[in-house]
Amino acid sequence: MLDRTALGRFISVLAGSYDVHAPVTACDGSFEYAPVRTAEGLDGTRTVTGLSPKGIFFPKDEVLFQYDGDGIRSGEASCRPIAVWGMRGCDARSLALLDRVFGSAVQKPGEERFQDPYWKARYDGAVIFGAVCVKPLSTCFCNWFGGSPSSTEGMDVQVTDLGDAFLLAPVTPEGEELLGRMDMLTQAADTDLDASREVAHRAGAMMSPPFSLEGLDRRLPELFHDPAWAGIAAPCVNCGACTFACPTCHCFDVQDEGRNGRGRRLRVWDSCMFSSFTLEASGHNPRARSLERVRQRVMHKFSYFPANYGERLCTGCGRCVAVCPVGFDIRKVLRGLGAPRDLKKD
Amino acid sequence: MSRVVAEDPGRFLRTFDLVFEDPADRAGFTYLPGQFCEISILGKGESPFGIASSPTEDGHLRFTVNRTGSVTEEIHALREGDIVGMRGPMGNWYPVDLFRGGGVVIIGGGFAFTTLRSLLVYLLAHRSEYRDITVIYGARSPELLLYRDELAAWAARDDLALHLTIDRPVDGWDGLTGFVPSVTKSLAPSPADTHAVVCGPPVMIKFTLPVLTELGFPDERIFTSLERRMKCGIGKCGRCNIGPKYVCIDGPVFSMSELRENPEPV
Repeated sequence: MLDRTALGRFISVLAGSYDVHAPVTACDGSFEYAPVRTAEGLDGTRTVTGLSPKGIFFPKDEVLFQYDGDGIRSGEASCRPIAVWGMRGCDARSLALLDRVFGSAVQKPGEERFQDPYWKARYDGAVIFGAVCVKPLSTCFCNWFGGSPSSTEGMDVQVTDLGDAFLLAPVTPEGEELLGRMDMLTQAADTDLDASREVAHRAGAMMSPPFSLEGLDRRLPELFHDPAWAGIAAPCVNCGACTFACPTCHCFDVQDEGRNGRGRRLRVWDSCMFSSFTLEASGHNPRARSLERVRQRVMHKFSYFPANYGERLCTGCGRCVAVCPVGFDIRKVLRGLGAPRDLKKD
Repeated sequence: MSRVVAEDPGRFLRTFDLVFEDPADRAGFTYLPGQFCEISILGKGESPFGIASSPTEDGHLRFTVNRTGSVTEEIHALREGDIVGMRGPMGNWYPVDLFRGGGVVIIGGGFAFTTLRSLLVYLLAHRSEYRDITVIYGARSPELLLYRDELAAWAARDDLALHLTIDRPVDGWDGLTGFVPSVTKSLAPSPADTHAVVCGPPVMIKFTLPVLTELGFPDERIFTSLERRMKCGIGKCGRCNIGPKYVCIDGPVFSMSELRENPEPV
C-alpha cells in the first residue's frame, strides 16, 4: 500500500533512478504524459490522455545519427531507464504490441527480424506502473480485444486508486523487486484487496458489451473489394489525427536535415492517411485515393497485423474516435464489416 | 565509387560501380541476384536500388540509377573516388536454386533490367547447371537499353537466346520492334521445366503476366520483382506493403501464386 500523502516521495525516489513520466493535467487543462519528479500535477481522475504514451518510447521525432566534419555519431539516447506511472491497460498493451514490431527478434517462428536499438534502449528495462481504470469513457472499447479496466498485460506493477491510498500489486518479477526497494510501502490488508477488486468490478460493469470480432480477420481479405469501403472512407479528410493519437500506429518516415557538411538523419512519425506516404519518385502512387488509405489503415490493424503477428493492432483506447474531426468511429466500421452480408453481390 | 558510366544520351540513367572502403565489410557482404541496397546521401536521404552486379563478379557492386528525385539527383553528381553510404543486402532473391536443372526465360523492360542483369550474369557463370536461357528485353528506343556493350556480347553467344525489342522502328535498328508482351507471346520458350522471371514498369508486368499464363506457365513458375516506396527497408516503417506482405522483407521477388493469394492487387 502507498499512502496518498506519500505519493510525492514515491515518485521522487523513483526519479532518483529513472526518468519518470506520468499523465499530468497542465494549467491549460490539457491532459498528457509529461516528465515528473514529484506528484505535482499528477492526475488519476481522468482516463485517457490526448496522445498515447507511445511517444515516450517511440518519440515523434528522434535523431538516428548526426554527422559533421569529424564523422558520424549515433543519436541513440544514452538516457536513464524509463518509468511510467499511471498507464492505462489499453496503453500498456499497446506498448507490448509495438514491442513485437520493434523489439522482437522473431515475428513468426523461424523468421528472424531486425531489432530496433532505439526502441530497445528505451523499452527494455522500462518499468510500467499501470492504473486500474475507475471511470471508463464512452469511447473505451478495450473489452473488444480481451482487455478490461483492470488488465495487466504490459505492466510491471498494477496500481489501484483506493482514495486515501494506492494498492500496488506486482505483475512481473522486475516490478516486485522494485517495490521491495521502496520503504514507504506498507503491507496491504485483506480489506484493501477487497476494495481494489470492487473498483475493478465497478469499472468493468460500466463498459458496454463487446462486439465479437471472431472470424473478422479471416474474412477481411475477402472484403478487400467490398463496395462498403466507399461509404466508410467518404467522410475521412485524411488529416492523420487518428494515427498520431493511436497508441499502436507506428508508421514512420526517415528524413535528413543538413547542409555544408553538418546535419542529422531523423526518424519522424508518419501516417498512412497521407498520399505522400506511398508516393513514388516516378509519380506512381499505389494508394493514391483516400479509400485506399482508409482501407489500408483498417486492414493493417485487423487483417495484416493479425496475419503477421497473431494479434490485432488495436487495444480499444478510443482516442481515434475522440479525436476525429468528422466522427469516423472505428467501432461502427468494424460492426459494419463484421455484419453478415451477401458477398456474391460483389 | 570506382566507376561511373552514363547509359543514355539524356543522362537520366547512370551506372555506378561501388567498392567497399573496409575489406571486412566486403568479406561480410554476400548476396544473390534480385536483392537490393539502400544508398545513402547525407543531408538528402536514402533510396533503394536493385543490385545490378552478380555475386559471381568479384570486386564491386553495380547499381544503375534513374535520375528522378532529390536523392538520385545527388547520386548522379557523384564521381569516381566519392564515398557514399550503403545498407544491404536487403530483401529476397530470384530463386536460382529452384531454377537449377531447368530452363529460364528472363523478360525485362526499360531500366528495370538491373537485377535481371545480375540474374543473367549469375546464370551464365553457372551455365552448365541450367538448361536453355532466353532473354527478352525491350525499351522505348535503342539508347534506353541498358548495358549495350554486354548486350552485344550476349547476342554473340550460342548458349543464350537474346531478343531485344524497341517500341517503334527507328533508323539503324535491325532488332525487333513491338512491346514486350507481344514479343513474349511469339518468342517465349516452351513452359516445360522452365521458370519465367519478369521485371519492368508496372504496365509491362501487367500485360506480360497473362501472356505467360496463356503460354502455359503455371503461377508457381512465374516470378516478378516489385517496387514500392521504401524508407526503413526492414519491415517496420509501414509503407511498402502489398496486403500483409512487405516488399522490403517478404519481397521484392514474388511468385505469381503468392500475388494471387494476396488480397491487395498489384
